[in-house]
Amino acid sequence: MKENNYFYIPQIKKRNQKAARFKGFAALALASSLFFLGIFLFDMVRQGLPALNQVYVKVDVTIDEGTLKNPYAEFDRNTLSVISRAWVRGLPAMVEKNPEWMNTTQTLWALGAAETDQYIKGKQHRLKPAQIEQVEALRAEGKVELRFNSIFFSTGDSKIPENAGFFSAVVGSVLTMLVTMAIAVPIGIMTAIYLEEFAPDNRLTQLIEININNLAAIPSILFGLLGLAIFINFFGVPRSSPLVGGMTLALMSLPVIIVSSKAALKSVPESIRLAGFGLGLTRWQIVKDHVLPLALPGMLTGSIIALAQAIGETAPLIMVGMIAFVPDAATSIFEAATVMPAQIYTWSGMPEKMYVEKTAAGILVLLTILLSLNTVAIFLRRKFTKKW
Amino acid sequence: MNTEGLHVKVQSRDLKLWYGDNQALKGVNLDIYENKITAFIGPSGCGKSTYLRCLNRMNDLISSVRIEGKIEIDGHDIYDPSVDVVAVRKRIGMVFQQPNPFPKSIYENVAYAPLMHDIVKKGPQCDELVEKSIRSAGLWEEVKDKLKQPGTALSGGQQQRLCIARAIAVQPDVILMDEPTSALDPISTQIIENLMVELKEKFTLVVVTHNMQQAARVADYTAFFHLGDLVEYGETEQMFVNPKEEKTEQYITGKFG
Repeated sequence: MKENNYFYIPQIKKRNQKAARFKGFAALALASSLFFLGIFLFDMVRQGLPALNQVYVKVDVTIDEGTLKNPYAEFDRNTLSVISRAWVRGLPAMVEKNPEWMNTTQTLWALGAAETDQYIKGKQHRLKPAQIEQVEALRAEGKVELRFNSIFFSTGDSKIPENAGFFSAVVGSVLTMLVTMAIAVPIGIMTAIYLEEFAPDNRLTQLIEININNLAAIPSILFGLLGLAIFINFFGVPRSSPLVGGMTLALMSLPVIIVSSKAALKSVPESIRLAGFGLGLTRWQIVKDHVLPLALPGMLTGSIIALAQAIGETAPLIMVGMIAFVPDAATSIFEAATVMPAQIYTWSGMPEKMYVEKTAAGILVLLTILLSLNTVAIFLRRKFTKKW
Repeated sequence: MNTEGLHVKVQSRDLKLWYGDNQALKGVNLDIYENKITAFIGPSGCGKSTYLRCLNRMNDLISSVRIEGKIEIDGHDIYDPSVDVVAVRKRIGMVFQQPNPFPKSIYENVAYAPLMHDIVKKGPQCDELVEKSIRSAGLWEEVKDKLKQPGTALSGGQQQRLCIARAIAVQPDVILMDEPTSALDPISTQIIENLMVELKEKFTLVVVTHNMQQAARVADYTAFFHLGDLVEYGETEQMFVNPKEEKTEQYITGKFG
């Protein structure tokens, strides 16, 4: 073999083996990260999907004046033990909306209690034997049903687990992000433009740049302390509000936006700027019309990465009071609000079992929103990228 | 050197330039004549490009540069403190070594600077200037149907002519060219050389070149730089046939470079 192979190189086998081994390690790294990601997603979906449905129980209610005063009196003890107290509490409001119900007997689908729900879903529950009997009897009559859980997507937090929803957290996150975006993106991009295109290259500029790079590595909870000390205590911005949360997160996002925008500007070839100077254009004309269009996709990407990070941020918001029990969705940036990760955090600490699936479902909603944001980002970047 | 009846367009007197502590130009005295092509030749690092960039104050962009001496265009000092550098560069255009069209359409590449300088208004007036400029750069027949396409989609030689058209559109007095053909193939080079000869009717051209044949082909006057000094300056033919300085002869005959 050796003698009659013209292309024989003594170490060739070893070299090929080395290359193959390295390729194998790289593939293994990729496979393991995909494996862990897969486990995480699978577990979240498995835990979270049941929260999309909720148990409802069919009940007959005779409605009269007394219902408005004490709705609990309309149900017997057995029924009350399997349906949601929150639903019963809301009955007078339903009657007011439907005045024709007065002095009739209505057959309604009542929201099931959390434990009933968990029992029907085959999870760990705390129903007593008598209650189980009751639920099974109702189920045999076809009076127990799993229905789409619209409450989760339309209400805020509640101490009654079956009545707790994610909507006010979504609204809070959106408001907070609007504030963050309105502050961090323009300031960050303008700072990057100044530092990269206009600032003289001296000690002061270098000092500022080093400090901005360092800021990007500061633990986020410190930004929360800063927000508490300056925005709330000094400027008197209302605590727990999307305004103060957004301002705090803006502080945290700024370094990331500045650094990535600077990198985007730096990647624009110097020859473009020289061409502009050679034609007698001012620096601003060159930056605005020739450099920025090329740098914009990179700037957008950086900004969106920073904002995506901010959406998932919890620690600094603890400090400004946004991790709180907020049942109603905020209608302005000055009202108390909570955000998605804060809501997930709150639920994850609750003792009732039903909050487990709510937590997972909340994570799924957060992930879905983040993924759609990233999709929008990719789309925008494609759209703005110039053929070069 | 017979310069009778010629108008001195650009004049520099005792021009010295330092990059930090490193002196790159050691006192250059040079008269550049109107409607002529003047070529700068010399080995790498001799200061020819540095000197060219002094003529439109491009060196101002480098913070470590210090300049002494005087450069006048039509008798007006371009380094006078009252002079705005943007206005200097409007009168003295520049074409670079690498074709560097803006990442915009062919039309916008040419139209942008004249619009910014208020030379023309948007509309037919601007269209006319764009066409005239691209025609002058000998590119019109090739691009007239694709003015909306990006300038970067053209070939290297076409891009360089687009850059020349862009410089012409600002209607400068002088056009500086920093090795304009060194990144191009021989055919594109020839087209641009022919173009340069045409352009000298309207403009004063100053060309830095590494290619001595190019200087011999197109330039009316040639300046030989060495180690920051202007060694010899004269009519191209005389310089190539019968150089006065020994260094010039050595360089031209390829003894160093």
